[in-house]
Amino acid sequence: MAGPTRTETFPAGIASVGLTTVTREIPADEPPALPPNGELKVIGKPAPRQNGRAKVTGAIRYTFDITLPGMLHAAVLRSAQPRAEVQAIDVSAAERHPGVRAVIVLAQPGGPAASLRYIGQPVAAAAATSPEAAREALGLIRVDYKPLPFVTDMDAARKPGAALVFDAASAPGASPSAFPAPATGALEGNVRGPTATRRGDPDAGFAQAEVVVEGEYSTQVQTHCCMEPHGIVADWTAEGLTVHISTQFTAGVRHELADVFGLPLSRVRVVVDGMGGGFGSKSQLGDYGRIAVRLSRQARAPVRLVLSREEEQISVGNRAGTWQHLRVGARKDGSLTAISLQSYGTAGVTVGGGVGNSAEGLYTCPNFAGEQSDVFIDAGPASAMRGPGNTQGAFAMEQAIDELAERLAIDPVVLRDRIDPSAVRREERRIGAAKIGWSRRRAPGADKGPVKRGLGMAQSLWGANVQINSACEVRVLRDGSVEVLSSVQDIGTGVTTVLAQVVAEVFGLQPAEITVRIGDTDFPSGPPSYGSRTTASITPPARTAAWRVLQRLLAQAAPALNANPEELVATGGRIQVRTDPSRSMAFREAAAHLRTDGISETAGRSDDYGGFKRVTGDAAAAREDLGGVQFAEVRVDTETGVIRVERVVAVHDCGRPINPRQLESQVQGGVLMGVSYALYENRLLDPHTGWMVNPNLEQYKLVGPRETPDIEVAFLEFYQGNSATDAYGVAEPANIATAPAIANAVYNAIGVRLRALPMTPAVVLAALGKIPQRS
Amino acid sequence: MRNPTRDGQIARGLSRRSFLSHSAVTTVGGVLTETALAVAGPARAQTSEPGLVGPDAAPIALTVNGVERTVQAEPRSTLAEVLRGPLGLTGTKVPCDRGACSACTVWLDGEPVDSCMMLAVDVGGRAVTTIEGLAKGDDLHPVQAAFIEHDALQCGFCTPGMVMSCAALLQRNPHPTADDVKGAIAGHICRCGAYPHIVEAVLAAAQTAKA
Amino acid sequence: MNRFAWTSPRTVSEAAAAASVTVADAIARPPAGAKAIVKAGGIDLLDLMKEDLLAPDTLVNLREIPGLNVVAEDAGGLRIGPMVTLAALGSHALVRQRYPALADALGQSASPQIRNVATVGGNLLQRPRCWYFRSLAHHCTRKGGDHCFALSGQNQYHAIFDHFPCAIVHPSTMATPLVALGASVELTDAAGAVRRPLLEDFFVSPSKDPHRENDLRPQEILTAVNLPALPAGTRMAHLKQGEKDSFDWPLADVAVVLRRGRDGRCTAASVVLGAAAPTPHRAKAAEAALLGKRIDETVARAAASAALDGAQPLSMNAYKLPLFEALTRRAILAAVA
Repeated sequence: MAGPTRTETFPAGIASVGLTTVTREIPADEPPALPPNGELKVIGKPAPRQNGRAKVTGAIRYTFDITLPGMLHAAVLRSAQPRAEVQAIDVSAAERHPGVRAVIVLAQPGGPAASLRYIGQPVAAAAATSPEAAREALGLIRVDYKPLPFVTDMDAARKPGAALVFDAASAPGASPSAFPAPATGALEGNVRGPTATRRGDPDAGFAQAEVVVEGEYSTQVQTHCCMEPHGIVADWTAEGLTVHISTQFTAGVRHELADVFGLPLSRVRVVVDGMGGGFGSKSQLGDYGRIAVRLSRQARAPVRLVLSREEEQISVGNRAGTWQHLRVGARKDGSLTAISLQSYGTAGVTVGGGVGNSAEGLYTCPNFAGEQSDVFIDAGPASAMRGPGNTQGAFAMEQAIDELAERLAIDPVVLRDRIDPSAVRREERRIGAAKIGWSRRRAPGADKGPVKRGLGMAQSLWGANVQINSACEVRVLRDGSVEVLSSVQDIGTGVTTVLAQVVAEVFGLQPAEITVRIGDTDFPSGPPSYGSRTTASITPPARTAAWRVLQRLLAQAAPALNANPEELVATGGRIQVRTDPSRSMAFREAAAHLRTDGISETAGRSDDYGGFKRVTGDAAAAREDLGGVQFAEVRVDTETGVIRVERVVAVHDCGRPINPRQLESQVQGGVLMGVSYALYENRLLDPHTGWMVNPNLEQYKLVGPRETPDIEVAFLEFYQGNSATDAYGVAEPANIATAPAIANAVYNAIGVRLRALPMTPAVVLAALGKIPQRS
Repeated sequence: MRNPTRDGQIARGLSRRSFLSHSAVTTVGGVLTETALAVAGPARAQTSEPGLVGPDAAPIALTVNGVERTVQAEPRSTLAEVLRGPLGLTGTKVPCDRGACSACTVWLDGEPVDSCMMLAVDVGGRAVTTIEGLAKGDDLHPVQAAFIEHDALQCGFCTPGMVMSCAALLQRNPHPTADDVKGAIAGHICRCGAYPHIVEAVLAAAQTAKA
Repeated sequence: MNRFAWTSPRTVSEAAAAASVTVADAIARPPAGAKAIVKAGGIDLLDLMKEDLLAPDTLVNLREIPGLNVVAEDAGGLRIGPMVTLAALGSHALVRQRYPALADALGQSASPQIRNVATVGGNLLQRPRCWYFRSLAHHCTRKGGDHCFALSGQNQYHAIFDHFPCAIVHPSTMATPLVALGASVELTDAAGAVRRPLLEDFFVSPSKDPHRENDLRPQEILTAVNLPALPAGTRMAHLKQGEKDSFDWPLADVAVVLRRGRDGRCTAASVVLGAAAPTPHRAKAAEAALLGKRIDETVARAAASAALDGAQPLSMNAYKLPLFEALTRRAILAAVA
């Protein structure tokens, strides 16, 4: 640790199990250890959402709602061919349209982008004085295509002789950051990889096994379906570029814009206020973002580009579909001897089809062999989506463990107590089992009638991620008002409120007294809102900056109380002498003693006090992973094949919980996305034309209110003395365990294991042998 | 199986849509050619027959949040477009534009409807209420207050429509059950998954209203 | 959406005279010249127009014609105006009392928002939800092409009966009980001439004409749906099963209407399957299996099995066989419960 340090003693352990302490060496300019939540006034309490009022009144402005004077509207001409070469393109008629101000060609004949590889790939774009004029202009563009053989099915793409999506020169290689996918290695046909991982001696491990379970699992392509479509308003002026964009990462988009358009960072500003959901798909600038900026540069006017729902569904990301072959060997006592995983996943025209590290890392097993490969097909690119990789991986791994438990005649919870090294998940299993009434669980298929009930559980594994490049400024102004500033964005997870709570706790104020101004790169550069890392990254700098400001405030106010600054504390809206509360003044009064109109401190994220497991560029992973255990109760109508999830108990950890109500909201959301993944969602492509047949929100089916189970959420308080707040994230773990928990519950209900998603009535009836075979 | 793409089966003769380039594919020497010229150009104003409105923009009178407003709009303009555009009421959101998500819900004479699937010219004398017109000044509607109290939202994009549907429910059924609430929002999609807190909030708002 | 003009006639004859083309013809065999199309609630029309499947020059608005949104008692039955909304009809006291199967179907149609706008006439005349039909990219048989993409494509939601040369299922859930109840439609032309076919006969199978789902003619307005009076003791049930219970289309729905004599034996039965065929599918073998029987679990099971006589599932929809069998049996038993 560079710079002066001091030691501090922190609470440590799981609150419901019993707390101890841990002593850490920390930077000298960071605040003292934060006590457990039970001793705090604001942190750990359900403060109402800061922008709640703006959201329930419709006042908050999303990118979708931004209009600027003289703003043009853009539209994108997209490929109608799954695979084609653009041979000629003529935009002259479009340019002559009276409303048109700029036309750009993206698939320039002869260039690399002339190879169209999926339906929806941008070909050209226009900006015009109205959305209608922009669309009319697209109709005036004449494109000559040479259609080419294509492949849109992963299994077909793996076969010899399949149409090739890429050649070696054009195929994407390593996966983008924050996307736990393998996707390195050789290209053979349409297959990139495998990426191999090996530990111990898997063959010997399987030889030692007394029981081996083995299965093939497949998962569908899921789309993000953010309610606010991807959208941008780009304003290129002589002074620089200002971009309003619905993004999960203002600071990252600013870097991309500076790189792509050759601008200094100081001339690029990225802004977002209301943000209507991202789930991983809005982490980057995207082709639509580049298109809008190019059009704005060309037209010298602000350009709005907001995608239609169909464009959303086909062109801006999805969760890769996968196939996995998983083998798990164990001794009779349950101890695992070997695991082998082979997977293929398709991220369309990009990479990212991996299945994460559930099989490799969730349980203690000395021997592991993994081979994960990407398969290219002529379909829209995947992108990260809430727990990418591990969500698919857990669907297989957690069913395999359930199957193993049955083969060994060991209760699935008990088996995990033996093979799961995580003390956090052990406690989560204990709490969850009690809440769901796990002791009620019966043998598979125990119900006599056509409607059968079952209980199942599954676990999640996810890194506790931190963005080191995260900074926050805190200001106290002379009237006692407090500002928190960072480019970090609130995509609905509630970080605005969390920041207000953390800073309010320092100043002895209420969250509502804190003004949080975020989502603007004019403020210190904050973290992305992906990889479950926002809270872990930005709350420690916020508390540190606030604490530093407070020290300065106390120093300037101390003379008025005839005290030394060290004797003063901020509590209950007042500054007072710790040992003599009668000597006090209101916080506002103290601020009036400031020599200047305001004082400000900016702090960055320091390393976890206990060190990181891994650091890659700006991204780091804490030593302890995140856990999360979910239990599901289902009802299966064996005559109609309909599965209903009746109840889910979700027990999670995120270090120190800061806002329990918002956390509950987020976990409910993760569970529901998991229910939706398990039972309903499916990107369907026509096998002959390559078109997505359900590019909407009607036939692409999302869980609705009537399919929403009763969801009970519980949180551990888990302290490790790792930062000024000791807080981590939760968004992704909340989604990972749900589908396998449901699948295990379905097995418990009907005695038949469903290894493919989604578990529709057609799948259930087929698994039950109820569909007559056709001659 | 012949490949319908290769033999020009797809989209033959269809040419009106512009944002996806699958208009009018014709086979020319083995190469598919896009031609979308004549039909996609801006339509010419027609000689209006008596009683005929449009296709050019014409004045449309609407009563929105209790105020009579007149906008110039083409008959093809939806209520959502007119609210968000000329009237500047951007609280109403349009995530799907096909009546599949209900986020664009506003009231017509107190009944929730999808404003994306209603032409502005078709509203007639019916009173339009949007999310901007629900609170009485600074006093939030009980449903709005309960949404904040119960954290019945995350990203907030579906929230205005959701609030309108829930407030309409309490208007016609002051004592709903949880199933009634789910029924009232059965056409809504909330990708953040706020349904449990929404149901809680509406039941609580009903209690508040009773007290 | 294309640009169009808007007219609001005040009488049915004016509207009929103005309505130069049906939606079906406008899509599959568009006439030369201007196309004026009738608009009731407008939900399906807007959907088609937003997908650029339909580009009328003029919409003929029925909303300003007096008297079309009335439900009236008519000789013990009901006369339902075409502009009555699904919400209004579903909550109508007489419908709930006399035709609970219809009330059930209405309550399960679409979303509350759509039910507040969509009309009885528009619901019966709406175009199919087949995703190939709804896709401009697929020039399918029903749009005037010569290829049904569903037959060899994604056909999990398609027909198990009567699916050549087009495998749509009829989109109206309300039509399932209406056919079972013996409803008829009233069609009025510009000269005031009226015909009143049974709803069952009004629908058109694809083997007869794959371009349209019904026999509506140009310059004709659907002016009423008539529900006959039901003899005392008529029992009925409607069951719908979607993948979701929230806004979703049925995978299958079944309406059963029957009567029993003093001896408890079934004297009349009507069993109709929705989402099974391009038109509401009258399961005559099931009806025959009920007639003359005392209805119990065994009889219901046999009738449900007979309901699928002649079914020919496609590659991805054979699951509909056990699903329809279960729903039909349950609907029969629910009707007599």
